[in-house]
Amino acid sequence: MSENKFLQAELAALLGVIERLAGELSLAEEPARFAAALEDGAPAAGGRAAPGPGSPR
Amino acid sequence: MPDFPSLAAVAASIRQGKVSPVEVARHHLDRIARLDGRLRAFITVDADRALAAARGLEADAGRGRWRGALHGVPLAFKDLCFIRGLPTSCGTRTAEYFTAEQDCTAVTRLLAAGAVCLGKLNMTELAMGALGDNPHHGHARNPWAVEHCTGGSSSGSGVAVAAGLALGAVGTDTGGSIRLPAASCGITGLKPTYGRVSRAGAMPLSWSNDHLGPMARTALDCALMLQAMAGADPLDATSSSHPVADFVAALEAPVRGLRVGVPLDFFFQGLDAEMEAGVRGAVATLATLGAHVAEIRLPDPQVLNDITGLISRSESSALHARLLRERPQELDAFTRARLELGLGVPAYDYLQALRLRARMARAFTREVWSLVDLLAVPVIPEPAPPLRAALEGPLEERIARQSRFSRLTRPFNGLGLPALSLPCGFSAAGLPLAFQLVGRPFDEATVLRVGHAYQRATDSHTREPDLG
Repeated sequence: MSENKFLQAELAALLGVIERLAGELSLAEEPARFAAALEDGAPAAGGRAAPGPGSPR
Repeated sequence: MPDFPSLAAVAASIRQGKVSPVEVARHHLDRIARLDGRLRAFITVDADRALAAARGLEADAGRGRWRGALHGVPLAFKDLCFIRGLPTSCGTRTAEYFTAEQDCTAVTRLLAAGAVCLGKLNMTELAMGALGDNPHHGHARNPWAVEHCTGGSSSGSGVAVAAGLALGAVGTDTGGSIRLPAASCGITGLKPTYGRVSRAGAMPLSWSNDHLGPMARTALDCALMLQAMAGADPLDATSSSHPVADFVAALEAPVRGLRVGVPLDFFFQGLDAEMEAGVRGAVATLATLGAHVAEIRLPDPQVLNDITGLISRSESSALHARLLRERPQELDAFTRARLELGLGVPAYDYLQALRLRARMARAFTREVWSLVDLLAVPVIPEPAPPLRAALEGPLEERIARQSRFSRLTRPFNGLGLPALSLPCGFSAAGLPLAFQLVGRPFDEATVLRVGHAYQRATDSHTREPDLG
């Protein structure tokens, strides 16, 4: 397979995955929800706070 | 001074007055002078400024003034971190490919905590590539077997720490580029949560997937470095204001009762037999430490790989389009092909991929973190392969080889989760084996704690390569 054909095939495969899954997305699904998902997935606070910058140990 | 001390041990010795910052800097500069012609970990060695900084730190120590937990500790930085006064090649043929308005925030914070900068480290061209080769600066060499790959893209970071040329290094990880060289070179490397460490002053490859993190001999060393690096930065809009834990204090909490999930299928399919034995042995050790180990099914990791890959291809092409357009002849064929692929991604598909990524991150929280506290999985599908064979063959074979080598790390870039690579034994040929612990968002403390407990119970991280 030539280099060009290989790249086209790889791209087509990736776009095929996106096309297959994108149909399942709701209108509310926006990229910014990624940052919110990280915050929501974080463990509940309660650990010890970090010492100030430069504090000796 | 031993050839392969841990960062924490040297920091403690300096604090106790057993060794001076100048002695430590000289020791490492001597090792670089003796060994790096063969290993090619460094692109730029900054010996004069390193010694000057060490002298200043020594004088401070004499007056009882301590900058921080890393006082006098020599570190080195991937050559995509902008540091005023030093070139930043980003692994390209161009000496100063990248400049920033400010020094790399992560570097600035480490130096403020007392670290000494030894110089800038080798890497794959534009941080693309999983195996560690570089046609412009020479291929970095694996200290355990110099004819084998180092893993990439933070190849020099992995080599410098493994060979005892630096006590710690900063790497970046867009698809596995901290964990792949850490695993291949037998050291410990942490990709923190997306946003945990500022990306300001570091060459971007994919703003959605880029992470900076520490690479060192032990989880404790990584915790000490992360403590200095982590936290919000007004210079990086994607950095998070989520509270920073006391990572070092948290290492002492018990591991007993933590739930560790081991996802089978994708992560163990096609895995090298020795690697599988090493990872399963590590999981068994976690169980003996009191962790509850259970098999778990994850949202499709291959879909995560495809989504993450498409986003990275698209963003890297946008970022480096000028180089591709104006000086394509300077680029390695592999890099050029990756960038050209990204030019063909329609905006529609890029945006859908970002939407899908957000949905998968929420699904992961719902379906995985409700059941377990951590995941334990392999990092690389096989011990570091021979370099010559990895670079042979037509371009499509090289691309497929690189994609395969990073297939176990990339899902956690798309999800933005903290992931710690730890050594877990050696193959019969003497090459490092490794596994990764993956945690909840912003829960580096737990990932490091379990890694620290594992390293207290094992000794793979203490083995030393024979460098003559």
